[in-house]
Amino acid sequence: MKKLLIILMFALAPLSLPAHSALAAGDGPSKDMLKGIITQVNAAERTIVFQKDDTKELVTLVMNEKMQPEEMKTNQKVLINLDKHAAAANTMKDISIMFIDMSLSKLIALLVIGAVGGLLSGFIGSGGAFVMTPAMMSLGVPGAVAVASNMCHKFPKAMVGAYKRWKYGQADIKLGLVMATTAVVGVQIGIKIQKYILNQFGGAGSNLYISAVFMVVLVFVGGYVFYDAWKLAKGGGKETVSKLAVRMQKINLPPMMHFKTAKVTISAWITIPVGLLTGMLAATIAVGGFIGVPGMIYVIGASAVVASATELIIAFVMGAWGSVQWGLSGLIDIRLALLLLATSLIGVQLGALGTTYVKDYIIKVVMATTMLIVAISRGAKIPGYLIDLDLMSPIQESTITLLEAISFWSLVAALGSAALIIIVAMVKGMTADSRSKKAVLGTSNG
Amino acid sequence: MTSTAFDKNMSAIAFAEAGEHDTARQILGKTTQKQSSKSPAPPAKSKPYLKTIIFGTMSISAYVLLFTNEKLVTEIFTMGGWRWVYPVGAAFFFSFIHGAFASNLLSSLGLEAKK
Repeated sequence: MKKLLIILMFALAPLSLPAHSALAAGDGPSKDMLKGIITQVNAAERTIVFQKDDTKELVTLVMNEKMQPEEMKTNQKVLINLDKHAAAANTMKDISIMFIDMSLSKLIALLVIGAVGGLLSGFIGSGGAFVMTPAMMSLGVPGAVAVASNMCHKFPKAMVGAYKRWKYGQADIKLGLVMATTAVVGVQIGIKIQKYILNQFGGAGSNLYISAVFMVVLVFVGGYVFYDAWKLAKGGGKETVSKLAVRMQKINLPPMMHFKTAKVTISAWITIPVGLLTGMLAATIAVGGFIGVPGMIYVIGASAVVASATELIIAFVMGAWGSVQWGLSGLIDIRLALLLLATSLIGVQLGALGTTYVKDYIIKVVMATTMLIVAISRGAKIPGYLIDLDLMSPIQESTITLLEAISFWSLVAALGSAALIIIVAMVKGMTADSRSKKAVLGTSNG
Repeated sequence: MTSTAFDKNMSAIAFAEAGEHDTARQILGKTTQKQSSKSPAPPAKSKPYLKTIIFGTMSISAYVLLFTNEKLVTEIFTMGGWRWVYPVGAAFFFSFIHGAFASNLLSSLGLEAKK
């Protein structure tokens, strides 16, 4: 217990770090963004007087040529991005209203994606983030607020899911905390790389890098997980420890760590890189679980059930840390976070109990299916980024619209198909279980 | 080799038919004893309807309270700095009461983990 507390303290220590500016998952927002209220609009001069939220300081900002004075809403919290390359100082690049008006359809949309994301999270340990942020953005939520609110809903969801799966004897707390600590460090490294790419190649270059990493990781890892799951399904579903993991476990390089629930003894020098990579990937593609879970299965040697349960502990620590970072900048729309939580807390527990009814390889099937379909979604965006970088000749507007549609709907398909597999497998498992119980009762009574 | 409950019942019947009532009883006794220890959820366990209602009411009231004061809440929660405690604290608070509601709701619906 004492040991666990020490690990927990280590894992939570980064929470006290100050906010950094960053792009992705685990960290805070960009410094070029202003948050506050427009107090005055000067239509003739095309300027506005803006009061910063944190310092209450008043600044005059210039509208860009596309902006209309009528669009400038006063007395409403807005987010403004400044155009660093504009001729005049303090020129606005874009402006967005921070809090969307909550209509009934938006409310229902949030509840539905919350439920499906929760189900997936409880079952495979991660999932949801890759669709929740874009979904919120398509409802009109500014990007930074969408990322922040998703983060704030992720950690309580992961906490509830991790607790449930720990109760079922599936989550390895020690492994989770060790992975989480190293992953937090990995996030920092990931952000450094991202910043370097952003400075060197600009926004389009950075987008291309993110998409390329996304595609490569998802296609390779997802493909391998799928192949493994298919092999298991054919062989009757009996899971064996991967050859790589067996070899890794044989490396006797102190300090050796023993993970009770995962039933693994392995050198810390193997565990740390897996955690670092998880964090680095979380900073790049916002879904660290897509490398963390396969890493725990194939490199460390945990079973799919234990790996996916342990991932929830990692998600909790990283989500809590990220939420503090975004909270420091005041960008969390708590309404969005709580509406997602309303259904995702039910979904995550349903997903968690679902794992007790299915064979281990079903978890791999769901994970691989999601990863491969999400890869299509990202792949559809690559031509757009290549055009931005002048690496490809421009294509027709209609083709771009089509690619955008493919990208969005494949995300929906990823979630939908994953949810369907989980529900079907769960119902099958439950029916088989109740039938065998009835049979036992029947023979003892008869 | 392990014998199933069916095998044991059949052998008990065979002994009973042969007049060995005590042996038959012994076999059956063992079977029922073994099954009762193996038996999953005890049937007497009642479903947590009351808890579901209590946590459900708490959760709904908290949601209503928050959404009726939407403007004030979003204003205070996004001030930044040390006020990160508000959104993070609220997320924790909701996850406890709403999480408890969700857990009891699933149990009330008969959805329990396989034992």
